[in-house]
Amino acid sequence: MTTNWTVKSIRDSVNAGSTSAAAIIDEALRRIDEKDGEIGAFLEVFSDDARAAAKDVDARHASGETDLPLAGVPIALKDNMLVMGHIASAGSKMLQNYEASYTATVVKKLQDAGAIIIGRTNMDEFAFGSSTESSAFHVTKNPHDTSKVPGGTSGGSTAAVAAGMIPAALGSDTGGSIRQPASLCGVVGMKPTYGRVSRYGLIADGSSLDQIGPIATTVEDVALVLSIIEGKDVKDATSVVLAPLDPPINGGKVLDLSTIRIGVPKEYFIDGMDEEVAARIHEAIDVLKKGGAEIVNMSLPLAPYALPAFYIIQPAEASSNLARFDGMRYGNRGEGVIEESYRSARGAGLGAEAKRRIMLGTFILSAGYYDAFYKKAIAVRAAMKIEFDAALAAVDVIVGPVSPVVAWGIGEKMDDPVSMYLADVFTVSANILGIPGISVPCGTAHGLPVGLQILGKNFDDQKVLDVALAFETLRKGV
Amino acid sequence: MTIDIDRLAMLAKLQLTDEEKAMLQRQLPDILEYISKLQEVDTSNVDAKAYLTDAVNVLREDVVTSTVDELDAVVAAFPRQVGGAMEVPGVFAA
Repeated sequence: MTTNWTVKSIRDSVNAGSTSAAAIIDEALRRIDEKDGEIGAFLEVFSDDARAAAKDVDARHASGETDLPLAGVPIALKDNMLVMGHIASAGSKMLQNYEASYTATVVKKLQDAGAIIIGRTNMDEFAFGSSTESSAFHVTKNPHDTSKVPGGTSGGSTAAVAAGMIPAALGSDTGGSIRQPASLCGVVGMKPTYGRVSRYGLIADGSSLDQIGPIATTVEDVALVLSIIEGKDVKDATSVVLAPLDPPINGGKVLDLSTIRIGVPKEYFIDGMDEEVAARIHEAIDVLKKGGAEIVNMSLPLAPYALPAFYIIQPAEASSNLARFDGMRYGNRGEGVIEESYRSARGAGLGAEAKRRIMLGTFILSAGYYDAFYKKAIAVRAAMKIEFDAALAAVDVIVGPVSPVVAWGIGEKMDDPVSMYLADVFTVSANILGIPGISVPCGTAHGLPVGLQILGKNFDDQKVLDVALAFETLRKGV
Repeated sequence: MTIDIDRLAMLAKLQLTDEEKAMLQRQLPDILEYISKLQEVDTSNVDAKAYLTDAVNVLREDVVTSTVDELDAVVAAFPRQVGGAMEVPGVFAA
């Protein structure tokens, strides 16, 4: 059995015939069985379907398909992506028995490429939160210290990868929900550019912000998975036609950083930020500089307004998206005549954070407050776009921390929503602006992982991955 | 800022317990105070749009692409159904 549990090594050994997809899936199920009792990353493991899918992949191999890009690779899905016939609950009691009636585009693409969907992972209910503690089902623990949260909202996916159960998973990122848990769990996680990956079959949170992306242990693996799931989809009108990524990135060569200008905004080092985290980020910037990159100190005066703008736009869009959960077409039916039925189904089916976001979004969109909050937020968003576009025109990428802190204790922030929201302070800009961002491990602080964030220009996901790979390679040599 | 929690819950079609109402009455003003920071930004000269993409009127052929299996699965997911149609509660009490 391969000890190198990466997407690329599994794909190569299955394609070479040195192992079978069936053996890989047996190993993944063994690892999940051994480790997930303690971590709680999965809500459900699709053991039977995964074994059957592995046999199909082995049959494809036997019939001559020996260059499948993800042959036999076990991949887990965040619980908000649909696989027909399987439950997709979005971490909510409202949908705990909902069986998906169609399959998400990203899932079909993974399966066509030979990947095997191994199960669905825990998440904050409807992707509202920063710690995965808002799941209606159970708490997921950080594999580096089981008294700590894994981050969120894709905490199940990142914890499963960080614990070595599976080589890769998909998450969704509305305000940092791939990058922040990747940072807190010490793995690589990427939010691609808005429009790069189809959201057809993703349960919507904030529709102008949501993006599906990969989580894995190496930059190369993240690039491999992204190269499969990306692309225009007629079923998602916001997806766009793009030049495909070129994995292995940059034709297999590590980018020469002497051609690269890296912006470091001073607003990404704030008062109250953990000093050890800041030290790791400064060291990471030094690594890039020693690698030949030109470091450009810059200022993004509107960056501090990204988080308040996000906590207007996201609840406004999410409260609208969640109007469909009324107990009529899916979920649990409420009691009484129709108006009472809606109210009781939603009252019983939704948890505290979902209710908070719905109430906040409803307030923001209500008569008398719409202009002061929602319209102001989208105006700030437009102003931020002008500022970031100008800043990014002068550099290739921007770097900074993913999170101002390392993983915190389970239960520590549950009674203080504003303090929980502040965990997303450095990640929300990418969603507000649509730009790509990645979290790459850059050491530890207080014994817990820290992630370096690399942000790029719209649709320049390749450059973000190239710089991330160069950093990862340089860091190994340090 | 005072917030009428009962009216908001009515607009949101959300049944809340007394405990939940008390918690929201306490937490929502904190959140609103935080997001009100945006008022500091001068946006008098920007053209605000809900989406930042340049896409307009993305069209496709008006043909059914769903499979019969998918349609059956949609109906099967209804909490209550009669003969393939969704059953809904009455608008008025009987």
